[in-house]
Amino acid sequence: MEKGKHFLSKGANNSAAAEVPIWNSCSFGMEMQSNKLNCFSDQLPNCFFNPNWDSSMDQSDPFESALSSIVSSPVTTSNAIPSSCGVGDPVMIREVIGRLGNICNSGEISYINNNPSTNTSCYGTPLSSPPKLNNPTMDSKIAGNLPILGKGIPEHPSLASFPADPGFVERAARFSCFGNGNLVGLNDKFRLNESELSHRLMPRLEPGRVSSNLSVKALGPQANVNVDGNSNSDKKFSRLSRSSTPENAEFGDSREESSVSEQIPGGELSMKGQKDCYSRKRKAIPRGKAKETLSSSLSTSDSKVVGDKDETNAKRSKSEETNGKEKDVIKAKEEQNSNQKQNKDNEKPLEPPKDYIHVRARRGQATDSHSLAERVRREKISERMKFLQDLVPGCNKVTGKAVMLDEIINYVQSLQRQVEFLSMKLATVNPRMDINMESLLSKEIFQSRGSLSHNLYPMENSAGLSFPYVYQSQQGIALPNGMFSNGETQFSVNPLNVVLKQNQCRQLPALNELGDAAWQVSTFWEDDLQSVVQMGFGQNQQQQQDFHAGPNMPGGQMKVEL
Amino acid sequence: MRAPQSLKQEFLKKWMVGLQLCESTNQNMSILERKKAIKLSADIAMASTRNGMTCWSRALVAKTSTDFGNKVLVDNILLASQSEKLKNKRTIIRRKKILRKSHRARKARGGRVVARSLAKEMVKKRTQVLKSLVPGGEFMDDVSLIEETLDYIVSLRAQVDVMRTLAKATELMNGK
Repeated sequence: MEKGKHFLSKGANNSAAAEVPIWNSCSFGMEMQSNKLNCFSDQLPNCFFNPNWDSSMDQSDPFESALSSIVSSPVTTSNAIPSSCGVGDPVMIREVIGRLGNICNSGEISYINNNPSTNTSCYGTPLSSPPKLNNPTMDSKIAGNLPILGKGIPEHPSLASFPADPGFVERAARFSCFGNGNLVGLNDKFRLNESELSHRLMPRLEPGRVSSNLSVKALGPQANVNVDGNSNSDKKFSRLSRSSTPENAEFGDSREESSVSEQIPGGELSMKGQKDCYSRKRKAIPRGKAKETLSSSLSTSDSKVVGDKDETNAKRSKSEETNGKEKDVIKAKEEQNSNQKQNKDNEKPLEPPKDYIHVRARRGQATDSHSLAERVRREKISERMKFLQDLVPGCNKVTGKAVMLDEIINYVQSLQRQVEFLSMKLATVNPRMDINMESLLSKEIFQSRGSLSHNLYPMENSAGLSFPYVYQSQQGIALPNGMFSNGETQFSVNPLNVVLKQNQCRQLPALNELGDAAWQVSTFWEDDLQSVVQMGFGQNQQQQQDFHAGPNMPGGQMKVEL
Repeated sequence: MRAPQSLKQEFLKKWMVGLQLCESTNQNMSILERKKAIKLSADIAMASTRNGMTCWSRALVAKTSTDFGNKVLVDNILLASQSEKLKNKRTIIRRKKILRKSHRARKARGGRVVARSLAKEMVKKRTQVLKSLVPGGEFMDDVSLIEETLDYIVSLRAQVDVMRTLAKATELMNGK
């Protein structure tokens, strides 16, 4: 749905697609890259980011002006940051900003070489220490700044997200050591993993950015939290996020620059190890995603797109591998000049498929459509299996498909047996089937209860939320209501049984009053129900004040039969 | 998927309709008959909450309605549910089977192959069992089987909840 919205709001995908190569070629004139982009451009209608890009291009002459405004607005940025989070380091930000500006304006490499760790840190450890803490404050900050941002300084939210990280410096340090091991040959690696980079880039940037981008969906926990918090203001901020997308590319650039510069001394190394480490990293991301997104329903065509890209990437990397050392160096230099532009272009087209990143072929894996489809299918299955895992109790500890299927089978069987048993029990217990049924059927019960509580699964929490039934204790009319709520609370709040029990204990005295009140009016049947209510549904007493205002059930109309 | 809340309500409502129908058609039933009727109506009610959107519900309805005596009941319950929702539009999701291509009979070293095939065998066996458990599962591919199982479990849970509550209520009522 978000996807749809996004597309609608951004409108012309095709125009964006058409514009990409043009922009690419005219403004930066990259030889190899334009080729590559041409093959991307037919995929572009699939991407969610293109519209962004397009609009960002519209808004600002993308590169220079945006960056100059970065540079020109370090003060505001740094103002925003320390106030929003205590940990933020204004000096650092200013440094980063300044350097970025330098990168882009003068295209000099020396600057970049100076600060690989600061730049790379943002991407190097995407999974460590999610900046959850800072997000709310950051968001509010951004909200406050919105008008300004819309006018002149669209960049600083995204910039601000960097220093907003509490572990910013720490991560910088970490990455720098990480980089020593892995940055060798990053050039090739980067080729293969651009989309990964962008993928990793996004989680970092997004939270601060209050984006309405679709990509947020795929970003894993932290980004999702963010979106939830800001879903109301998404529209409002969409422009903001749009305008800040160029900076993503920017940071990507700087990262690549640094990696390139480190690569020169390293020369070429074996690709395999790096790819392995990448694939490992890559796996970590979709796992987080799979739990969050309900159905990322990827079409096979999209996966094919990824596959194509893989092929092209693989080919390129192979050719580069054969090129040898000196060529690498040359290329690195060449790329230092062109990469910031190239990357900026790469970033965008490559970001969209990050949903499907896990379908990418690794080395030695087949890339033809059949095996890709097969892979997609397997991914789908495992994703669903994860949901099942959440759904089936006791299943989240087991690993292995067979064991999981065992658990699922057991659970289904037990449920079916329970149904059998319960129907048997009902049959024996209740010789006349129609007695209580009718009274239970009185529509008020159900309608009043409806739509109030939304426990989906045990994963959903908050016992408080799960009992928002209107319970009117006056004159004890709401008994069946209470009864059913009882049942529901028992099951829908499985993990919260503890809470429930607490509530029960706490509420028993209160319930007795309730029962008294009810007894005055009730028939003997209701009396029985009272006890049911006592068993499970104490909380209502407590909550009734809160929910009187809600869609009350018309208790008076409830007919009590028998 | 909806919240189980509304699911339970819907299920209960339909179930009640079914039970009333059972009651009206046959006054004197043995316990076993009654049990069967209760279960049947519960199942149909559960299936009808899905509005024919899922394979398992369709399969369940189809299975139960093969028996003629049941068919009346089934139709009635479904009718009752349809009268509320002006004839559910038949938006049945049909899933395309992804063609599998078992082209990868890769030769690895002996132990691994054995282990892998063993694991595959296990999974296959369990999948078969699961298919036999989920109504209509015989005709599903793997992906949709798991989806349907998800849905089925949710519905089953709702059903069990409601039934258990009812059982408890009636038990208590009779106890006094």
